[in-house]
Amino acid sequence: MNARSYGPHIVQYPKEYSLCAGCTSCEIACSLTHDGVVGPRYNRIFLVRGTSSMIHEVAACMHCSDHPCYEACPEQGQAMTLDANNMVRIAEEFCTGCGRCMKACVFEPARINLVKSKVASKRSAKKCDLCAWRAEGPACIQYCPVRCIGLSSNPVPEYSPAVAQAPDGGQ
Amino acid sequence: MEKPATVTAPQTATTAPEILAKVKVERLENSLRYGYVGTILRINLSDFSVSTVATASYVPKYIGGRALANRIFYDEVGPEVGALTPENKIIFMTGPTTATGIPTGGRSVFTGIAANNYPEQYAWSGIGGWFGAEVKFAGYDGFILEGAAPEPAYIFIDDDKVSFFSAAGLWGRLVHDTQATLEAMHGREIKSIVIGPAGENLMRNASITTSNDNVAAKSGFGAVFGAKNLKAISVRGSGVVVPADIKRLFELRLQMCSPAMRPNPVVHEFVHGMDGNQIAVLGGWYRGQVACSHGCNQHCCRLMMDMPSAFSDSETVNQVEKCVGIFAYGFAEDCAWLPIMSWETEQNTLPPCKMLSGEPPAPDLSDPHLPALFAKVPGDIVNYWKPDFHKGSVMMHLCNEYGIDKWDVIVWYFTWLSMAKKEGLLEDMDFGMEVDVENEVFVRYFLDMICYRRGKWGQLFGEGMARATRELGYEKYSRSIYHGRYSQAVPGLQLDLPVSLETAWGMSYHWAGRGYEGSNNKPTWLAVTLMQMTSTRDTQTVAHFHGDYNDLLAIGDDPCHSRILVDDVIMNENKAELKDSVSTCEWQSPDLYWTSMEAEMFTCATGIEITEEELEEAAVRSKLLMRAITMRNHARTRQLEVDSIYPSIIYPDCHGETVTEVEFNDLVDLYYEARGWDQATGWPTRETWERYGLADVAHDMQELGMLP
Ligand code: SF4
Ligand code: SF4
Repeated sequence: MNARSYGPHIVQYPKEYSLCAGCTSCEIACSLTHDGVVGPRYNRIFLVRGTSSMIHEVAACMHCSDHPCYEACPEQGQAMTLDANNMVRIAEEFCTGCGRCMKACVFEPARINLVKSKVASKRSAKKCDLCAWRAEGPACIQYCPVRCIGLSSNPVPEYSPAVAQAPDGGQ
Repeated sequence: MEKPATVTAPQTATTAPEILAKVKVERLENSLRYGYVGTILRINLSDFSVSTVATASYVPKYIGGRALANRIFYDEVGPEVGALTPENKIIFMTGPTTATGIPTGGRSVFTGIAANNYPEQYAWSGIGGWFGAEVKFAGYDGFILEGAAPEPAYIFIDDDKVSFFSAAGLWGRLVHDTQATLEAMHGREIKSIVIGPAGENLMRNASITTSNDNVAAKSGFGAVFGAKNLKAISVRGSGVVVPADIKRLFELRLQMCSPAMRPNPVVHEFVHGMDGNQIAVLGGWYRGQVACSHGCNQHCCRLMMDMPSAFSDSETVNQVEKCVGIFAYGFAEDCAWLPIMSWETEQNTLPPCKMLSGEPPAPDLSDPHLPALFAKVPGDIVNYWKPDFHKGSVMMHLCNEYGIDKWDVIVWYFTWLSMAKKEGLLEDMDFGMEVDVENEVFVRYFLDMICYRRGKWGQLFGEGMARATRELGYEKYSRSIYHGRYSQAVPGLQLDLPVSLETAWGMSYHWAGRGYEGSNNKPTWLAVTLMQMTSTRDTQTVAHFHGDYNDLLAIGDDPCHSRILVDDVIMNENKAELKDSVSTCEWQSPDLYWTSMEAEMFTCATGIEITEEELEEAAVRSKLLMRAITMRNHARTRQLEVDSIYPSIIYPDCHGETVTEVEFNDLVDLYYEARGWDQATGWPTRETWERYGLADVAHDMQELGMLP
């Protein structure tokens, strides 16, 4: 029994509702929205690829209520803060990119990304902020062409052809 | 089910590989900033050396992808180089849109002297997956592979570290096992391209496979890897690709091919196949749709889930089916054709990605041409093999695991076995087992034989059908007529077809009016034939012909004298160059009613303003470089290409018609004239070379006596 509790986070819907196409659009939309680049160290959502099974899993920060990443941060309060909803935020201007938060993440793969660089100012951890600053909501959800990811606060939609045919895909 | 004792079962155990050499790369300063990452790697397998080339020395003039590879190949590889020799180079190139998030940009391309065309010539092969994007994240727009390793090896590119490892522990392994073993050794995040045993054994139809069963199948570059003793290339990159215009990029994501943006449920299907090849599947099967490449906004690939495995009765496999795979299961009837697949109106189009994903746009009923666009022409009855779900799955799985081009297996090897047997041509051949294409045991036996080159027949057929039938006796074993083809367009009409479905350059028919996908109309198959003529391989996988329906009406019943048809062919050819260069995908491009799409993608990625006309000029330049290579390296002339292609269309189309050689030559005249190529020789004039910025090539051609 897992006693851990989580805040709102990105979930992947069952394949009976929508199968992940493995297109990586979620990773791309995430890093482009936040950093204006595409690169495997910049996305805050992770496509765990099934190279030959072709079944892919989406992994994103679960926003754990006990936030072990925050607890591990040596710059706690500056580089990592808690917002009003108890959600861990990274203030990249203060982040030294030490990677302790990533190591402290209880999930495999870790749900925090890390940009390594010889240039200290470029080193930084990257973590899902649910695109809280975007009026359209999470970029990954918005640009997933098959609507197979959504917010945990929304119940898993039930598939029906009518929903699927709707112009907004039932979102 | 009986299994051949010789099949190598998937293995899992692995030991740490021996390192043969390790090189640190000095990547070049990237003056290009957006889209490109600035450095091309040159990797020499003979001495394990690595050097770099600046991308900026080629672009934007040579765009990227195939256009850039054509220039490098023209500059570096002269005539007399065989596909399977160390002197052959394989050039892998991404496009400026690769890894930017612009849809379809994830596709990349290989070029080099191909093992599978006949005679061996320079060709290309595209590939999807995540590999191209990862190469860019590692800091390279592409790489040039030279030489041959002294022993089986694989390459691991880890940002600026290039390591050469012994492939002793990988050699012999099947495709998926090789991928899994590399991931076990170097981490799950690596992206790999690998060959299977077919490539190792220099089987000329061998493919190169990456994730999601994406393959570079045409051209037989898997055999070129095998000849270079190269089992795989793995890459891990931690860098970034920076697109110039992110706002526009997000618009393109929702604009290109209008993604439906709706759920993609796994569907429990109870029937497989189309038309006369339908099979009722006991218990059903599960279909999902997946994307082929990094950053795409569509999901065209049909994922067949939990399918019968070739290696175990208790395990199942997932496999991807695109257009040809469906015929592995049943091939009693050829593919049907709807005019809208080739001729569109502004109101009604049917992009291939929409067809394959099962999400065709709703027809616009206000279109007066609607009935004509959907007037289905059924495929010919061919009776190659009855539908068999289990056997079809095994055939697909073996091709995937051995690393063999499914196309030639389904369209050429097995149709030949079926037709040649029915025509009594195989009676004095002892394969060691009765030839029966409807027997799964024989399917396994034959694929195993050609993959591992077992015995006399494995040696022969492992050379590919063009070479095998010539070795056996071309007239008898290739040109004998199969008497089992019946038109459904003209019901009851029996039509001649050669037992070997060969068209020019050692390729098999593809939308050419007869053979596989042969029920299109005369203007369409003439267009396809013309495209094939000036190429070195099947062009249709990157240049399915598309034209406006009003053009078809204007072409009327005299296509061989239609400049409109020629202009449409040239448009499709130029777009094909762009697809492999910008890059984009055959299944989204060309959009006939958004002709600046590729130029907008290019500018969005690179920040370099380019007009549609300027990009078209770059496409023609790429086509001209291909022409220069085929002329200089392969002695291409008008006579050679007309003599190579025309014999493939002497057989009737599904209406019982064809064109005379004189008529076809009239069409060729029109085409050369429109291209600025000399009608007598087929060679571009000085003015043409110079108009497209290739004065140096004109100079070379003059030296060679090839400047008309
Ligand atoms: S919600 Fe926003 S930050 Fe979080 S994974 Fe999605 S795109 Fe990235
Ligand atoms: S965008 Fe959607 S379909 Fe594409 S990889 Fe992400 S979750 Fe899967």
